Amino acid sequence: MIKKLLISPLGWLLCILLSLGICLSALLLGSIDFQSLIHSDIGHNILWNIRLPRVMLAFVVGASLALAGVLIQSNVRNPLADPSLIGVSAGAALGAALMIVAAEFIDIQAQYYIPLAAFIGGILSTLAVLKLGRNDMPGGMALLILAGIAINVIAASLIGLLTYLATDSALRHITFWSLGSLAGANYFWLILCTTALLIVCLWLPKQQRKLDAILLGQAEANTMGVDVKRLQMQSIVLVALLAALSVSACGIIGFIGLVTPHIGRMLVGASHRYLLPLCFFLGGSLLVIADGLARTIIAPAELPIGIVTALLGAPVFIWLLVREGRRLQW
Amino acid sequence: MVMTLKNLNLIRNGKRVLHNISGELEGGKIIALLGPNGAGKSTLIKSLARLLECEGDIQLHGKVLADFNAEELAQNLAYLPQQSQLEFPLEVDEVLSLATLPFSLTRLQQRQQVKRVISDWNIGSLAQKDFRQLSGGEQQRCQIARTYLQLSNMTLEGQGRGIWLLDEPASSLDLEHQQQLQRICRKAANEGHCVVIVLHDLNQAFSLADDIWLLENGRLKAQGPAQEVMTESLISQIFKVSARRVEDSGRSIFLFS
Repeated sequence: MIKKLLISPLGWLLCILLSLGICLSALLLGSIDFQSLIHSDIGHNILWNIRLPRVMLAFVVGASLALAGVLIQSNVRNPLADPSLIGVSAGAALGAALMIVAAEFIDIQAQYYIPLAAFIGGILSTLAVLKLGRNDMPGGMALLILAGIAINVIAASLIGLLTYLATDSALRHITFWSLGSLAGANYFWLILCTTALLIVCLWLPKQQRKLDAILLGQAEANTMGVDVKRLQMQSIVLVALLAALSVSACGIIGFIGLVTPHIGRMLVGASHRYLLPLCFFLGGSLLVIADGLARTIIAPAELPIGIVTALLGAPVFIWLLVREGRRLQW
Repeated sequence: MVMTLKNLNLIRNGKRVLHNISGELEGGKIIALLGPNGAGKSTLIKSLARLLECEGDIQLHGKVLADFNAEELAQNLAYLPQQSQLEFPLEVDEVLSLATLPFSLTRLQQRQQVKRVISDWNIGSLAQKDFRQLSGGEQQRCQIARTYLQLSNMTLEGQGRGIWLLDEPASSLDLEHQQQLQRICRKAANEGHCVVIVLHDLNQAFSLADDIWLLENGRLKAQGPAQEVMTESLISQIFKVSARRVEDSGRSIFLFS
């Protein structure tokens, strides 16, 4: 019933309107009322230079993480996978932590270099995972995941070492960064993240049915005309791009990439033709809502958004697991 | 000739699992691969589907198998693996419609084909169900239907030219559906396709197959028409049982003790 509605044109219209509504509400959410946002100079400034890029970045990052989640779960055929599995988030976190600690010793404008270091770290660690876990043999995907876990552990221990060396203020900075925040949103990151998301959205329509075929199994997909290795490599590169840019722009935000695809599948099933567009809107809207909560719950202070997504996401995830388990009688 | 194999050899983990296998697979015929566990039946059928790389020469319609791109291959060859595991909620009709992936069909044509295969296979009651909630036998029927749908698109000027590789399709089917499988295999062969099927039930192979390939330890022990290959002595020797062939109203069946 829900599925029938959601995959109809009316359903898509509803999705778009709902997402727009959520973004608009988030724009107006805060301690400054609507009148002064529109009429005063300060209000204008807040609206256009702080809130608008922040809400839009939240939507773009949420959608990116959700699509990256669908892609990685489908390619490794494991519903428990998430983008951090290929090492991209851990590498980015390591890059950022290195820069934060280094900024204590050398005189640089850390806030500009941290995202750059995070991006380089994310891409480098993904390359390392790809190099270690060769995908050109049977069971290669499992090897890739194991390599990802290994890289995650190495990065985590190096970050641990850095926090040991760090000063108090650097330590606080690392902690805050590793829990994610959209407070630093600006048009530069918005444009970068939107470009990456657009590239993926242009690539996806031709791959939808191929991704469906992979769900059945590698052998099945291969004999249904899908060049599985190529599709998997392309997917991983794009997931790395989406995740590395998202992490660079706003730190590590957990659970969106893991939970959104599950909610999407509950609503419209696993067919990518419906799942991908739904997750685009769902992931974007969820992160906009989470960010709205993060900046208002303890206003004027802010919660790291990673805490909000984890606190909301983890119970939902547990509920999903129990429900799935009951239905499939694990 | 649909497919020719010359001196296929495969070594896995230091063990030779296929020894100099040669043969020809003709359109319009059903070929059963028989042999005890570990004889190399699945390995051979996977090599034919290009899922395993082996030494030697395999040609499909006169072209080297390795030279096909993934899509071209899927336009000439359909493969049913022993077991499929799905972790995600795809509906049966969504699974079936994937069979049309290698062919450039409109969405309407896809839908019509899926509808037809659902009514041909009498699985209308399953069409909207989550594939994971079906029983083993029902899943198997849907997968056979899916690969048959793929095969049925492989025709040129009304003449079937595909090759249908079935790895133990009967293992979880009840008697009624085993017979349905036999009928469909025969139909596919009559349309001109070549059907290669791995079976464990020798009597089923006897009644279904035109040709039999008998494998043991990766070697082809015998190949040829079923009546000639399936001798009491050879079956007894390869399967290590005592087999007796009985003729009953024009049909041969094996009794084992």
